[in-house]
Amino acid sequence: MPDRAISYEELTPGYKFPSTTFELSASFVSKYLKAVDSESDGFVPPLAITACAIAATTKSVPLPRDTTAIHASQELEFFKMVPIGTTIECRIGVLQKISRGKMSMLILELEVFDKDKEKVQSGKATIALPT
Amino acid sequence: MLTEIQEGKALNPVVKHITQEKINVYAEASGDFNPIHIDESFAARTPLGGTIAHGMLSLAYVSEMMASAFGRNWLSEGKLRAKFKEPARPGDTLTVDGRVDCIEKKDDVSYANCVFECRNQKGEMIVTGEAIVKLSSDKK
Repeated sequence: MPDRAISYEELTPGYKFPSTTFELSASFVSKYLKAVDSESDGFVPPLAITACAIAATTKSVPLPRDTTAIHASQELEFFKMVPIGTTIECRIGVLQKISRGKMSMLILELEVFDKDKEKVQSGKATIALPT
Repeated sequence: MLTEIQEGKALNPVVKHITQEKINVYAEASGDFNPIHIDESFAARTPLGGTIAHGMLSLAYVSEMMASAFGRNWLSEGKLRAKFKEPARPGDTLTVDGRVDCIEKKDDVSYANCVFECRNQKGEMIVTGEAIVKLSSDKK
């Protein structure tokens, strides 16, 4: 479950959000492929997995009021192909929190594991928060 | 297919048209319902002036280009670093271009280092970055 108790001000580097799980079902993959206007080769597109992790991030991270989060940059590394139907676990942590004038930046670390606890992908997302 | 990969080789471009409908479907699929993507009246009141596509939607087109060029090597051992420079908006046509910048060998393993960019129909840079794919291993 997303941690709603912590506020943006309380987030510090090293903080780990509670992990979230997703089932990469055939209907999810089908909807994702329709959205990105692409076709499947029997495996879950790696960016579909990242999309779940990013969505988990946006649900978990408490943003300052009246702020629109902008995805500024993304790093990703894929470790294995993931069959449709796999359940994944997303772990998100705060790497850095930067404030520059009217702009705040949150750098988050993402890790995704399959049911065997094998790492599927990892990455780093930079979220800009103009206030 | 991977034997044709050489330094300087251009990757087959990917061209996609962005619509609000695709953005809405992406929001449903991913669960990312940030109103800047789907709420036109909310987005109109922000400095962005209207809805924008999820950055990960544009990045999906980059991944499609890489998967088309490198197949399962990309899906199982790809790496990328991307910067979102400008937002993609409904009505935009995005073109993703890329090329093999260099091929490097580390510990008997070959890697293709690629560069990519995604521009809209006005030539504005939407996403830029680098991607690395493992090509082969000489290890026995």
